[in-house]
Amino acid sequence: MAEMRVGETVKLLEISRAWLVDPVAGREGPGEVVVRDGILEAVTWLEGDEADAARAEGGGPGGIVVAPGLLDIHVHLREPGNEDAETVASGLAAAAHGGFTTVCAMPNTTPAADEPGVFARVRAAAAASGSPVELLLHGAVTVGRGGERLAALGELADAGAVGFSDDGSPVQSPVILRNALLYLGMLGLPLFEHVEDPALTAGAEANEGYVASVLGLKGWPAAAEVAAAQRAIAVLAAVLPDAPAARLHLTHLSTAGALDAVRRAKAAGLPVTCDVTPHHLGFTDEWVAGSRRWAWEAVDDDGIARDPWADRAFVAHPYATSCKVNPPLRAAEDAAAVLAALVDGTADAVATDHAPHAQVDKEAEFGLAANGICGLETALGVLLAAVAAGRLTLARAIEALTTGPARVLGGRPGRRGAARGLVEGEPADLVVFDAGETWAVTPAALASRGKNTPLLGRELPGRVLLTVADGRLAHRDAEA
Amino acid sequence: MDARQIMTADEIRRAIVRISHEIVERQAGTEGLVLVGIQRRGVPLAERIAAAIAEHEDVAVPVGALDITFYRDDLSLIAQQPIVKGTAIPVDLNAKTVVLVDDVLFTGRTIRAAMDALVDFGRPQAIRLAVLVDRGHRELPIRADHVGKNVPTSRDELVKVHLAETDGEDAVRIERRGDEA
Amino acid sequence: MRAVEGAGAAARGAGPVEGAGTATTEPATELPWHHRHLLDVDGLSAADIALVMKTTDAMKEILARPITKVPVLRGRNVTIIFYEASTRTRVSFEVAAKNLSADVVNIAASASSVTKGESLVDTIRTIEALGAHMIVMRHGTSGAPYLAAEVFSGSVLNGGDGWHAHPSQALLDLYTMRAHLGDLRGRKVVILGDVLHSRVARSNVWTLTAMGADLWICGPTPILRGFDAWAARWANGRGPGGHAGFTVTSDIDAALADADVVMALRLQRERMDAGLLPSLREYAARFGLTRERLAAAKPDALVMHPGPMNEGVEIAPDVAVLDRSVITEQVTNGVAVRMALLYLLSGVHAGGFPEGSIGG
Repeated sequence: MAEMRVGETVKLLEISRAWLVDPVAGREGPGEVVVRDGILEAVTWLEGDEADAARAEGGGPGGIVVAPGLLDIHVHLREPGNEDAETVASGLAAAAHGGFTTVCAMPNTTPAADEPGVFARVRAAAAASGSPVELLLHGAVTVGRGGERLAALGELADAGAVGFSDDGSPVQSPVILRNALLYLGMLGLPLFEHVEDPALTAGAEANEGYVASVLGLKGWPAAAEVAAAQRAIAVLAAVLPDAPAARLHLTHLSTAGALDAVRRAKAAGLPVTCDVTPHHLGFTDEWVAGSRRWAWEAVDDDGIARDPWADRAFVAHPYATSCKVNPPLRAAEDAAAVLAALVDGTADAVATDHAPHAQVDKEAEFGLAANGICGLETALGVLLAAVAAGRLTLARAIEALTTGPARVLGGRPGRRGAARGLVEGEPADLVVFDAGETWAVTPAALASRGKNTPLLGRELPGRVLLTVADGRLAHRDAEA
Repeated sequence: MDARQIMTADEIRRAIVRISHEIVERQAGTEGLVLVGIQRRGVPLAERIAAAIAEHEDVAVPVGALDITFYRDDLSLIAQQPIVKGTAIPVDLNAKTVVLVDDVLFTGRTIRAAMDALVDFGRPQAIRLAVLVDRGHRELPIRADHVGKNVPTSRDELVKVHLAETDGEDAVRIERRGDEA
Repeated sequence: MRAVEGAGAAARGAGPVEGAGTATTEPATELPWHHRHLLDVDGLSAADIALVMKTTDAMKEILARPITKVPVLRGRNVTIIFYEASTRTRVSFEVAAKNLSADVVNIAASASSVTKGESLVDTIRTIEALGAHMIVMRHGTSGAPYLAAEVFSGSVLNGGDGWHAHPSQALLDLYTMRAHLGDLRGRKVVILGDVLHSRVARSNVWTLTAMGADLWICGPTPILRGFDAWAARWANGRGPGGHAGFTVTSDIDAALADADVVMALRLQRERMDAGLLPSLREYAARFGLTRERLAAAKPDALVMHPGPMNEGVEIAPDVAVLDRSVITEQVTNGVAVRMALLYLLSGVHAGGFPEGSIGG
């Protein structure tokens, strides 16, 4: 590969003996790609003998994989207001490291993105960073995310908002929720709702269950998410006659109950979508007690959660605040439901809810620590671990990070590779990773300013070798 | 294992009898005597001496046990706190003559610790020391009043006292360090 | 004499240093204490617990002497920092440390220190810079001592964290029970009261089940939340194992029937304010430990309470002063147990631990 620097147009890139995954064409197999002067010049799918030969030489799904650049519809970039935790520049660098070429930033900055002026600031920061990663923006639903008055929804839509959310908090008042769904239905844009009943979660620290009981932590009941999800869906159903284009998206669902509610709503034809995070899929509440086994390793053959104390499964100390997140890491049965929802399509997308925090906000007593896990750079690795364990297919994993989220956003133009697939003649937008190689998750290896992930110190599969966004190099692995 | 036996069971028995006579002779009787064995092997030795005294004087001299763990001067130098073995002093020590009993006298630090412990229990009139083996190499100004056997040793040797009560046999051996199993 | 029995029992124990220069003890058959911190009791093996009990015996002997002091922790600084108000436990630790000749710094930090902006981590670092070798800590948030242990290079002893654990209390409770009952295997021990918010209850669950007791937890249903699931988890041999039973019920008569030990827990007024229970009066009427209720237990059943007591609420005044009430004994044993724990922890130096481990 020619010498290339991040930000530059890719002059020439040839990858042979790779495993190509094109979720738009619904196709995967051995092949080769050529990028010249920023354009995806050739995509060659190998057939018959050539394909067998390529597979024999190690060009299978366990080797180098080429897929469209990934899309994350839920990240927190913290600028403006909390640049100690993350800036737009560091966040976009983290995205590229994780294989993402497009991210959608949530509006819970300080000030909140409840009017176009804040959008302008954030976009200026993105331009100044020089990163080719596309930054899309969510607008707030209410002014200051205070839940009382609707934000400048139309103006934000005109300014390019791809969705709206008060994330961090739910839209508490059902009246406001209803009105927002009506208005956004008129604009044809989705409402991303963080479903949580705050009355049930006041002072909560960890998922209500066996682990919290033993650790003496105040329980975070599943009912707080399930009830809020059911209510939001009911409000959506009520507004549909007046706003047939209304769309509700429930973000970071973590409980079997909430996912069941979405499943039933979809079966009834309601325009509901949802996403799940890698951490709710791969980690469980036993991580708070010091375990680090994957969620699918923490259940027995009957699907019942194992007992980490009985198994002596602890490898880290308990109460690690890197495990503190909203919604909390749930019991293994819920994590299994999250994975099942991803497999059966109830969950349309995987979104990281990348939530970086400055060390000082995490270096506190568990109950007082800030909520959030950094996920941009580890999302692919977690999904590939599930693939390696036979819990998920590679195709579905890539779909969940490309076409799935693109559909949630309505597939509007402007979303590059994720909605287009591997198409000859288009500007190159792709991620190249080695599914057979691992990389060590260390603070130095993470481009994000936030190092708050419980995966620190671990080796993850799927080393991202190259990320190309809009024909320009966004990330290059140091050893590629 | 190249261990040299330096005292047989009979020699140990005779030494104990001789020491028991010496103690009574020094005290001009048994009045006010208290034997205090230092954990671990000093305790059965003290009991045997008391038994010998009972045989020739027909008097039961009180016997106590003293664990000096909490008074050691080397605790900060070793890896973990030693396991405590227990102290039991059955009589008031004020104005008594305490005879400390231990198996081996070496650097003298154990005896120093034992004396510190004893004064926390009261104010004896006198403290004497009886040991089965004195191997030299004192690091403190401590000497024994009653000695079973004087055994010159080099620093890299180990003196191992075995007693029936703790080890199943009566014997004293010298081993070279590094010869241990 | 117990001391002589002890000498005979151990075939080869660690002896005094009688060798060349430094560290030349004989190898010990009993494993010495190897935990750098004591943050909870779940990680203690049966051997660890036995060692604590044995060391406590030695400490009780010291407390029976005219001079209740030994020089073993001379030159060591033990800093006690309590974020929650508690006179008895804080003073108990101070007395314990002083009996071992340690230098004691006793800080009664209040919640205001936290609101003033001084973080826990900053405080621990300051305490370390001021020369502390050991920290004894009580905090209102579960898990806080683990954070302290991460940033402190010495040893941390958890004096109670939130609802989670109170290791020294559970160990002194165990010591008290064993002093009266001996082996606890199969013995019926009942913990009665506000277990939901009780770190004493949680730690006792671990120690009592490790000792093979038949454990019963009893109280009104809202404050049993979580324990039912816990007991169900450990049923059918799925838990850490070794216990004779773990039953959770709101039926006080079933719980007290033939009990060997009844431990009452304090019920706080705040529980009513939080809407958890109707009233203290109703609690006392239905769950208070009265002489009538106690009659269902064995005639010589022990009555215990970690203190302070709400006489008339969870325990009737005339029950608290019964002969078989060992509540005062718990206090005395508390000093001895804490002396034992300080002694054992003080021997494990920071240098002796593998990289990255918190030392358990």
